[in-house]
Amino acid sequence: MNRTAPYRLMSREERIDWWTGQWRRTLPGLMTLGLIVLMTAPVFAPLPLMPQLGLLGVFIWATFQPAMMPPWLAFLLGLVSDLLFGLPLGVNATLLPLTAMFVRGFEARFGHHVYGFDWVMLAAVALVYQLLGWQAARFAGNATGFAPLLVQWLITVAAYPAVVTLCAALQRRFIGPRT
Amino acid sequence: MDWPPPSRRMSTTRREQNLALLGALASGAVIAVALVLLLLSRANPENSARLRGTAIDVVAPVWSVVRIPFDLIGTGFGYVGDYIGAASRNRDLEKLTAQQARALQTQAAITHENQQLRSLLKVVTPDRRVVASARIAGASSGAVIRSAVVSAGSANGVAVGQPVRVAAGLVGRTVEVGASATRVLLLTDANSRIPVTIVRTGQSALVVGASRALVEVRERVGAEVPLVAGDRLVTSGDGGVFPPGIPVAVVVDGSQEPPLARPFVNPAGLGMVLIESAYLPVPATVPVETSTVAVPREAGGGRTKPSIITSTPRATASALPPPPAPVIAPPVAAAAKPAAPALKYVPRAMNVPLAAPVLSPTDTPAAPPQ
Repeated sequence: MNRTAPYRLMSREERIDWWTGQWRRTLPGLMTLGLIVLMTAPVFAPLPLMPQLGLLGVFIWATFQPAMMPPWLAFLLGLVSDLLFGLPLGVNATLLPLTAMFVRGFEARFGHHVYGFDWVMLAAVALVYQLLGWQAARFAGNATGFAPLLVQWLITVAAYPAVVTLCAALQRRFIGPRT
Repeated sequence: MDWPPPSRRMSTTRREQNLALLGALASGAVIAVALVLLLLSRANPENSARLRGTAIDVVAPVWSVVRIPFDLIGTGFGYVGDYIGAASRNRDLEKLTAQQARALQTQAAITHENQQLRSLLKVVTPDRRVVASARIAGASSGAVIRSAVVSAGSANGVAVGQPVRVAAGLVGRTVEVGASATRVLLLTDANSRIPVTIVRTGQSALVVGASRALVEVRERVGAEVPLVAGDRLVTSGDGGVFPPGIPVAVVVDGSQEPPLARPFVNPAGLGMVLIESAYLPVPATVPVETSTVAVPREAGGGRTKPSIITSTPRATASALPPPPAPVIAPPVAAAAKPAAPALKYVPRAMNVPLAAPVLSPTDTPAAPPQ
C-alpha cells in the first residue's frame, strides 16, 4: 500500500496493488460516517444514552491517522451529522473540524501519549465540545438545559475504550500498525 | 506518523513549510464556512429543509430493515409475556369490563345529547383525516434534539406541521419532510409546545419538553389552583395543529413549579404511528372583496382601497397593503385620543381569527370622548 517507488518504476502487479489499496484512505472517514449513522438508531431512552460517536470517531482517527482525518473531512462529517440529527446546520460542522485541528496541533506539539492520557484528553475535548455545541444550538434557536448534555458527556467518555478498540483493530487490519 | 509517510527524497524544509501554511489556510476556510452556515441557520432555519429531507430519506430505509429482527424478537418476548400471569389479568379485566359496561350506557345517552345540541347550534367540526400510518425508522435522542424519523413522506401526503399520534396518545408533530421519510418532533424535545386542557379543572396550559422523560406544564391559566398527581392533560385544539381531546400526559408531581407530567406515549415501545392532517391549519391570507367590507366611501373606502382580512400577525405584516395616501385629516382628530373603533367586519364562519380591521385615519371619531 505504501508507495515505495515512483509510479513509473513499478511493475504491473505493484501498480495494481497500489491502486487497489487506495480505498484504505477512505476508511477513517467511512467508519466515522458509519458511527454517525449508528447514532440515528431508533433507540428512545429517557436519558440521552447515545454517546457522541461522531466526535469519538473524529478524535480517535485524528490521533491514529491525522492525514486521513483532515479538518475538511471532519467538516463534511459534521455537516452530515447536523442533517441527520435535525440540529441547526453548522453546529457539528464547526465543532468537528475544530476537534480535528486541535488534536492535530496537540499531537504535533506534544507527541504521542499513553492510553490513559488520551482518555483524559478525550474527556476534556468532549466536555468543551458539549459546552460549545450547547451554546451553538442555543445560538441557532434550540435552547435546552445542560444536564442532559452532561449525561451524554459521561456516556461518551465511557464509550471511548470500545470505539478506540474497534478503530485500532481496523487500523491494524487494513492500514497497518503505526510506525 | 502521517500517511503516506513523507517521502525523504523530496522533502525540503521550505516545501514542508508551504504545505503547512496551505493546510492552515484550508482549515481556516473550512471553519469560516461552518461559522457562516451557523449564522445562516440562525437567520433562516428553513434554508436547509430540502437537504434535511433528503438526509432522512437516505437513512430511514436502513433502519426500517435493521429493526426487523429486533421487532421479531420483541414480539416473541411479548407473546411469552402474555402467558405469564394471564389468569389474574383476565380476572382484573373482567371486573373492569363490568364496570365499563355501565359507564358505556350513560355515555351513549350523553353522546346522543351532545350530537343533538351540536346540530342545534350548527357547530362546525373540522374533519379529521389520517394521512399515513408509518413505521418508526430512526431517531435523534441526543441531548439537544428529541426526534423520531418515520418512514412516510411527502409522497404519502405528509406535510410539515401535522400531528403524530397512536391510540394511547400524542407522539409529536412533523417538522421535516422528505420524499419517503419524515422527522417527528417528540413531546419531550425542548422546542415542543403542546396546547393542552387539564381535564379535572378545565384550565388551559402548555406542555413543554425538557429533553428528559418528564414534560413540564407551563403557562397555566389560573396557576393558583394546584395540580395533583393523576391529573390528565389532553390537547385543547388551540393553535390549529393538534385536534382536541388527544391524551398527552398525566401529572406526576404537582407540588413544584412548573408541575411535571409523564407523557402517555413512550416512543421506545412504538412500531407504527398515525400521521393526521392538521386540525385547523392556519389559512393563507384571504383577500376579501372590498365591496363586502363596509368602509364608508367618504372615508377613503370603496373600490379604490384594497382591504385585506388576515389571520396571523405575520401575515398581516407581510400582506398589508402599503399605507393609503394620506387623506386630509382634521387636526382635531390627529390630536385626539382614538377611541376603540367599532368593528367593520363581522366574520360569518367561526374559528376565523380576525385581525385588526384596516382603518383609515378618518375612521377615528372626530370628537374625543371626554
